Amino acid sequence: MINMIGKRNYFFILSGIIILAGLVVFFINGGIKGGFVLDIQFEGGTVIQIEMPDDNYDTAKAEKIVKDTIGKSAIVQKASTFNAENSAAKLYLMNLKIGSKETLSQDDRSKVISALKSEFNLDENAETTVNSIEPFIGKEIMNKGLQAIFWSSFFIILYVWWRFKIMSGLSAGVMAVLALLHDILIMCVVYIFFRIPLNDSFIAAVLTVIGYSMNDTIIIYDRIRENSNLLRKTPIAELVNRSVIQTLSRSINTSVVVLLCIITVFIFASVNNIQSIREFTFPLIIGLASGTYSSIFIASSLYVVWKEHLLKKKVAAKAAKSRA
Amino acid sequence: MKGNNGLKFFLVIAVIAILTFISFSGNFFGIKVPGSVYDIRPGIDINGGISAKLYAETTDNSKPTQEQLDSAKNVIEKRLDRLNILDRQVTTDLDDGAILLEMPWKAGETEYDPDKAIQEIGKTALLTFQEVDASKIDSNGYYIHDEENKPTGIVLLEGKYVVSANPQKNMQSGGMEVALKFDAEGTKLFADATQKLLKKPIAIYMDDQFISAPRVDAHITDGEAVITLGGRSNDDAAIAEAKDLAETIRSGSLPFRLDAKQVNGISPLLGKAALEVTVKAAIVAFILVCLFMIVFYRLPGVLACIALLGHTVLQLLFISWLNLTTITLPGLAGIILTIGMGVDANIIIFERIKEELRSGKTLRAAIDVGFKRAFTAILDANVTTLIAAVVLFIFGTGPILSFAYTLFIGVILSFLTAVTVSRIMIKSVADLDIAKNQWLYGVKVVSK
Repeated sequence: MINMIGKRNYFFILSGIIILAGLVVFFINGGIKGGFVLDIQFEGGTVIQIEMPDDNYDTAKAEKIVKDTIGKSAIVQKASTFNAENSAAKLYLMNLKIGSKETLSQDDRSKVISALKSEFNLDENAETTVNSIEPFIGKEIMNKGLQAIFWSSFFIILYVWWRFKIMSGLSAGVMAVLALLHDILIMCVVYIFFRIPLNDSFIAAVLTVIGYSMNDTIIIYDRIRENSNLLRKTPIAELVNRSVIQTLSRSINTSVVVLLCIITVFIFASVNNIQSIREFTFPLIIGLASGTYSSIFIASSLYVVWKEHLLKKKVAAKAAKSRA
Repeated sequence: MKGNNGLKFFLVIAVIAILTFISFSGNFFGIKVPGSVYDIRPGIDINGGISAKLYAETTDNSKPTQEQLDSAKNVIEKRLDRLNILDRQVTTDLDDGAILLEMPWKAGETEYDPDKAIQEIGKTALLTFQEVDASKIDSNGYYIHDEENKPTGIVLLEGKYVVSANPQKNMQSGGMEVALKFDAEGTKLFADATQKLLKKPIAIYMDDQFISAPRVDAHITDGEAVITLGGRSNDDAAIAEAKDLAETIRSGSLPFRLDAKQVNGISPLLGKAALEVTVKAAIVAFILVCLFMIVFYRLPGVLACIALLGHTVLQLLFISWLNLTTITLPGLAGIILTIGMGVDANIIIFERIKEELRSGKTLRAAIDVGFKRAFTAILDANVTTLIAAVVLFIFGTGPILSFAYTLFIGVILSFLTAVTVSRIMIKSVADLDIAKNQWLYGVKVVSK
């Protein structure tokens, strides 16, 4: 049998290196200010999307129009997406991001939209999408998100404590949640590395990963629970290792199926440029993959390290007692 | 036994087939069945519409009370009623002192200007007490209602003078009424008005919208009036009417204005594109999962696919029947995610069966033991996902709520179908001679 638990230090080091690298990049990019790219929910600002007849328009001209109309600078990007009314054609869009730290007033927004419409000779009924957010909204979302992460972790520990008494549930629960924190850190690292803007999809993804990654950990724990009744005399490391190996195909296959689904959605969203779905599924993919990895290699290993530590303490205490 | 099992098997398949048919066609042999996928209400990110958070801006930075927010909400609801936008959600958030508004575009609307729409809906209500046209008073001094109930524009006093407006029960008659109290200036103006309009109606308007036109029965000089309504106080409708009238009258004197700090307007065309792409992705994901299951688990894999179809269809039906929230794009992603999670339980069971077969058990025994031993793992794993979904539902906002909702329903249903539908099917099939070959279960056949 392969001894995976015996190689645990390699996995700890691997995860450590990834998280450390993320931390280094985080500080290179400016630490708390700039380490993460913030979406407009955190930065504040206004994003306007306008339907364009084709792709041949001058973004610099649009930037100038915004500057001339309301005196604010804008970042203009070209975009296109799937056209529901005519699948052969594409829907061309112009994305404008205006202002940061403050949103445009309703008046200014209307002015910008009508100026753009007249300067580019757009149809009066051209589709427009407006997203305007004050910076403090992001703080609210973040606050709620952190609360949600705390409470779900709390209840999961309680549940595992109750259900896995035989393998001293509290430590099993705490180790499982530590592995979840590992997954969240890995997700953060990906956001830092690829400069993905942080928004409320991230919070939802984190919570999904918290709920789902536990799946794999629980499958392994369940087998440890079963095996500890059958193999009472086996040392803890071997018991856990055996349980991990026995459930390996299960852990991998369940994750493969879920990843298959989410990756499919991600690919469809990327090809057709459906931004909201792409932003939502990407962190999920990373989190779920990391969740499987951490369930197999981190959670059970941490559990073994902790149990062996307790055992050593016990033995030492006994030795001390007998000496006295 | 064998015949019985065969019957069960076909019964399960027939039920799944019927459910699938109903959910995608909306009727069953001519009988219209509610709850097809077409009855699911799409969120504004699919159908197009506006979501906005309107913050109450007070002059002294104090937080508005729940009562004041309710009043402001009442104004918004009334305006949307008049615009005939009924499929909307208006909620108050006391912690933030804000009103959350979500509404679809009006059908036939050609001009998509979210800012203009929000501006109109969220502006401070102008509540007025007006004189009515002499031709619209009947012989008893009551107001004659017509289709339009147009204001005359002869304003006697404005709602800003109202100090309080509360629903109450009349102790003598037992009917409901609304008690009004005016401030010093309002008391003077109201005294003049009631003197002028004695035994005549006085009409109350919010903006240009007719609210009520009670008859003035006395010359009121102390600034305290009562509007008597019909109905009994034990009548829920009468109580609701009184509460609504009080809230509306109060709206004229709200000490804040609403500021839309968060506006998200989505054009219907972009939403439709996103929906089409996501539905396509869902179908492809479903097929890929089925292929994976069949290649890996062979016969049980085929059964798992049938169970997965049942689970997915049931989930759609439940969402449609319960009709609790609109389904947004993240909500759809939740459905797709549970397609993947739905087969998880099956994988856990099948792997266990394989293991038991390898240890030398007979097929029948392996299936029994497999289901029994896999049960705790499946239960515990699903409960943790449920915990996360419930927490997300409590703390989540906007489109994310829909995700938590579909995830929650999906996880419960996938658990139920895995331990019932899959089990019935695999047990009945295992009795067939043709299904006895262990290769069909993904185990190498060892010649004895």
